[in-house]
Amino acid sequence: MKSLLRFLRRYAARNLPHYALGLVALLLTNYAVVRVPALIGQALDVLGEAGPLAAAAGQSIALELILWAVIVVVARTASRILFFNPGREVELRLAIDLFRHLLALQRPFYATRKLGELVSVAINDISSVRLLIGFAGLQVFNVIVAIPMHLAQMWSTDPVLTVWCLTPVLLGAIYMQRVVSAFYGLIRRSLELLAGVSDRILETYSGIATVRAHAAEAAMIRRFDERSDAYLAVLLHLSRLRAFALPLLSFTGLIGAAIILWIGGDRVIAGELKIGALATFTALLVSLVGLLTAVAWVLTTVSRGLVSLTRVDQVLDTPTGVPPATDDYALRAPPALELRRLSFTYPGADAPVLSDISVDLGPGRTLGIFGRTGAGKTTLINLLTRVYDPPPGAVRVDGHDVLALDQDRLRAGLAVVPQDPFLFSTTLRDNIRLRGERSGHVRGADGEAAREGADDWAEVDDPQLTRVLDAACLEDDLRALPDGLATVVGERGVMLSGGQRQRVALARALYRAPPLLILDDILSAVDQGTEARLVAAIRGLRGRLAGDATEPTTAPTTVIVSHRTSVLEHADEILVLEAGRVVERGTHDALIAAGGVYARTHDHQGAEGDHD
Amino acid sequence: MTDPKDSSKDERGGLYLLRRFWVYVRDHRRWLLLGLLMIPVVAGMTVVRPLLLKHAVDVDIPARDVHTLRVTALLFLLAVVLEFISQAVQVYALQRVGHVTINDLRRAVFRHVLRLPARFFDKNPLGALLARSTTDIEALSETLAFGVFTILTDVVMILVVLGAMFYLDARLTLISLAVAPLIWILVRVFSARLRALQLEVRKAQAVQGGYLTEQLAGATVLQLFGRQRAAVAEFERLGGRYLRTTKTANIYDALLFSLIDGISALCIALLIYFGAPGVVDGSGLTLGLLFAFIDYLQRVFVPIREFSGKLATVQRALAALDRVYGLLDEPAEPRLPEGAPDPLHTWTGGLRVRGLRFRYRQDGPEILKGIDLDVAPGEVVAVVGRTGSGKTSLGRVLTRAYDGYQGSVQLTCPDGQTHELSTLSPDALRRHALLVQQDIFLFAEDVAFNVALGEPELSGDPEALRAALRAVQAEALVDERGGLEFQVGERGRALSAGEAQLLAFARVAARAPTFLILDEATASVDSVTEHKVQRAIEALLRGRSVLVIAHRLSTVRRADKILVMDAGQIIEQGTHDQLLARGGAYAQLYRMGLDAA
Repeated sequence: MKSLLRFLRRYAARNLPHYALGLVALLLTNYAVVRVPALIGQALDVLGEAGPLAAAAGQSIALELILWAVIVVVARTASRILFFNPGREVELRLAIDLFRHLLALQRPFYATRKLGELVSVAINDISSVRLLIGFAGLQVFNVIVAIPMHLAQMWSTDPVLTVWCLTPVLLGAIYMQRVVSAFYGLIRRSLELLAGVSDRILETYSGIATVRAHAAEAAMIRRFDERSDAYLAVLLHLSRLRAFALPLLSFTGLIGAAIILWIGGDRVIAGELKIGALATFTALLVSLVGLLTAVAWVLTTVSRGLVSLTRVDQVLDTPTGVPPATDDYALRAPPALELRRLSFTYPGADAPVLSDISVDLGPGRTLGIFGRTGAGKTTLINLLTRVYDPPPGAVRVDGHDVLALDQDRLRAGLAVVPQDPFLFSTTLRDNIRLRGERSGHVRGADGEAAREGADDWAEVDDPQLTRVLDAACLEDDLRALPDGLATVVGERGVMLSGGQRQRVALARALYRAPPLLILDDILSAVDQGTEARLVAAIRGLRGRLAGDATEPTTAPTTVIVSHRTSVLEHADEILVLEAGRVVERGTHDALIAAGGVYARTHDHQGAEGDHD
Repeated sequence: MTDPKDSSKDERGGLYLLRRFWVYVRDHRRWLLLGLLMIPVVAGMTVVRPLLLKHAVDVDIPARDVHTLRVTALLFLLAVVLEFISQAVQVYALQRVGHVTINDLRRAVFRHVLRLPARFFDKNPLGALLARSTTDIEALSETLAFGVFTILTDVVMILVVLGAMFYLDARLTLISLAVAPLIWILVRVFSARLRALQLEVRKAQAVQGGYLTEQLAGATVLQLFGRQRAAVAEFERLGGRYLRTTKTANIYDALLFSLIDGISALCIALLIYFGAPGVVDGSGLTLGLLFAFIDYLQRVFVPIREFSGKLATVQRALAALDRVYGLLDEPAEPRLPEGAPDPLHTWTGGLRVRGLRFRYRQDGPEILKGIDLDVAPGEVVAVVGRTGSGKTSLGRVLTRAYDGYQGSVQLTCPDGQTHELSTLSPDALRRHALLVQQDIFLFAEDVAFNVALGEPELSGDPEALRAALRAVQAEALVDERGGLEFQVGERGRALSAGEAQLLAFARVAARAPTFLILDEATASVDSVTEHKVQRAIEALLRGRSVLVIAHRLSTVRRADKILVMDAGQIIEQGTHDQLLARGGAYAQLYRMGLDAA
């Protein structure tokens, strides 16, 4: 409840005028809604008495009825618009805040949450919150206003009959309450099962080559049918509820109508009630049943909305964990890089991943990191780039503790190519340049946005782009792609091979001409021929890539991670990591001469891919 | 508003589609019949109730006959109960037919897609196929369960109620329904506009959701490249579009809702206004009749509000059905009939290829340009060549992953019998000739499932599975992980690349194919695993005919014969030493390091 109030203050307060007007419209609507049956009853009574002026009196009541009918239409329309539209605005405000906050949250947060969960909070929970303040907001007020009005009108018509016919209806309403929550539970379950069916389909279609080669259709069909049938079972259960349980409340309303006929008829015969009251009662009862049905749905919407709101709040209240910047140093020239006895343990883990690593690397120099899977190479990269925050003072650029720098400013001075690069489903060109409003835009799904000038710079000659394409050995690949640089690479770059994705990510990093360049095992999926060319290109960065050819520039300070010795040959210093510790260090030649792990691996790899 | 030309096309197509669809419904026609039989009962009870009310008001109450009034009230109660039961049965039966039929269809689509040839998957993106099998089927399900039959019910209901009204008093019916055509038009216009808007809302929502999902997946990249603010701005832009559309949609929705709410009151007012003189002067019009009409009028309008919405669902469903049938009409690979004898049971792995030519598309370039090749039973043949030389395609053609070769590919049996590849059913062939491609695919199941892949003789036999794992050096590794029940995760995420490769090899060992076509993966693994992989490959090369598309020196050395391919032709063949001595293309490839090839 407290979070609801806080939320309303923060997001809905500015729509207060809408809600106030909406409430007025709602009062008017409901007054009209109960007036109509009352007028019908009056008209019938007048006509039933059949006096000389009866016809004229009946007709004037009919005219009043028309007036109220028009009021119902206008006022109800207004109340729905006034309540629902602010709901949509609040939804959008909340969604934007949530999205902004999610993008501010760092890897430690993402490491503990599943992407699907976060997406579900951002889409499903936010839409439940919208229903809470739009639909449920309207209905709550509506019910609060309307039920007493209905009861008052019924009571003033005939208290005895009111008690009689309300009894079954109230029982039905209580039952309905329970059915609706069971119904929602089943709906949720059915959606989960449907997602399971889709998963199966996607998995099987993705592995179709394997299924075909092994003639394994029968097994695939079996595991698909399992899920499909489980989904069907829930759907049938839902249908039973829909058929037998959900209409029960309306059914009790009709029982109420039978009671009106029985008891009310008696009372009319006994002269205790006028005949028109029967019509008034029946109409009010039908309307009341509608309201009670709404109550059942609204209570569930409210409880779901509140749960969703807590989930949204949980994310919004998660601190980003980024310490405030105390040092406004910015990387402009290739920096000196220093690690001082760097040790690191992942949050929640027992054993350190890195222990006691120290390095002193001059500006423009290249550091090689060598080690097997799990040796801590990628962790080291994550600390350099502050994907995870290193301990204070342990990582320094030009003598400044990276932890004290503004995170965005630090990152503006570096470019990293991760092992498993992430490409956005936009064009190759946008993926490399990664700038401008439409970077990472979903094009396939949104033709309009694709046309809206996403290719603004397509025709612009970009010598920097040409240079990086060449450096990343992408030119041959481009010729093979249907639209060259304008090729939309598909979700996560599915149009490209693993090696191509790595090289696109390399081009993306080189395009920024960063003072500090970090390459995390980026050549794992390229063949050795391409590898040799890429290594040469990265070495050749000195003086070429960082800007115009006319402007003399220095080479970026570079960190290269690899498990291939051939990639590291030209590094100024190589650290050999094993279980998070430096076990050997030195230049390529020195390490070969030392005859340790590095030298042995070199011999092995050399024999495998013997070139020259 | 739909284009008239379009809708006429839809109708013809619609009937045709429904006829085809009947094939699936037919199996559940009993439930369908039960549901349809209930419709007149429900409609009847709805009409009877107001008549009973009329009787009470016109006859029982004026006569002050408490007894007959009670009988009327009891009959009314009976009608209510009957209506409830028949309606419940009707709803359940028809929804059941819908769900069960759709389930059958979903299964049929899945079965069909599994049998589609590789070429089909090259042309059709996975996303579209998934949409055919899920979104389109769901659209159908919604319609079948809620749309079609409720429209039928509504139509029957409206007709019966109108019939009863005309029967009671035609003049009054016409008067009270005087505004109906106007309403009808308003409702049509509003709901057509609303539908278009809702479609746009859904699209905008999907785009925004897709954008959000992708940006969150790439959050670290955005952060590293300082793109957060631009991403939020784009999200706001997309959200603004969504907001504008929903707000407009809300206005139409509210109008539509309120209009129907007010309209029955309006009709009742007309009824009273024009009926009043008749009641008073007693010219056939009675109070009870007014009671009944008031009830009827409330019944007629609600279905009208929902009618056009439902019609739209049906149109969407027909479009979906059309797409689903488009998929079902794709020609599938043939399969050996159940229980048919295995044509290759005497095959020992001999292969004779003459003048093999192949292209992926009729208008595409020729990939294989006249290959002659002999593989003796038990022989290991290595194929090397640069990327694009056609070596991968050769493997695909030989397992009928792709059809449509020219020339002859004969499987020779020791008894002198030969089978031309194109005459063999693909599943029969693949029981004996196994293609292992570079991309290893593992299913989100346990190790046992991934090795057996549902092969009946293997699934229930842990010993056989263990033997297979042992043969490829993977048993110890699997045990370390937790044995045969170890869940490998989505796409084998819980395993390293090397481990995944070993499991794929275990599949081969378990099936012991007569002929193995192995496309060696180039993805590098650490040196310990690499060693295991090499030994596993050596194990697989023993005791069967093998065509290996080789990247490893160790594999090539082990081969009885090496074929060097270039531009779709075999340009050299011989043993490693012979070819090296010759100093030709092979020697050059070898010097460059084989996996540069």
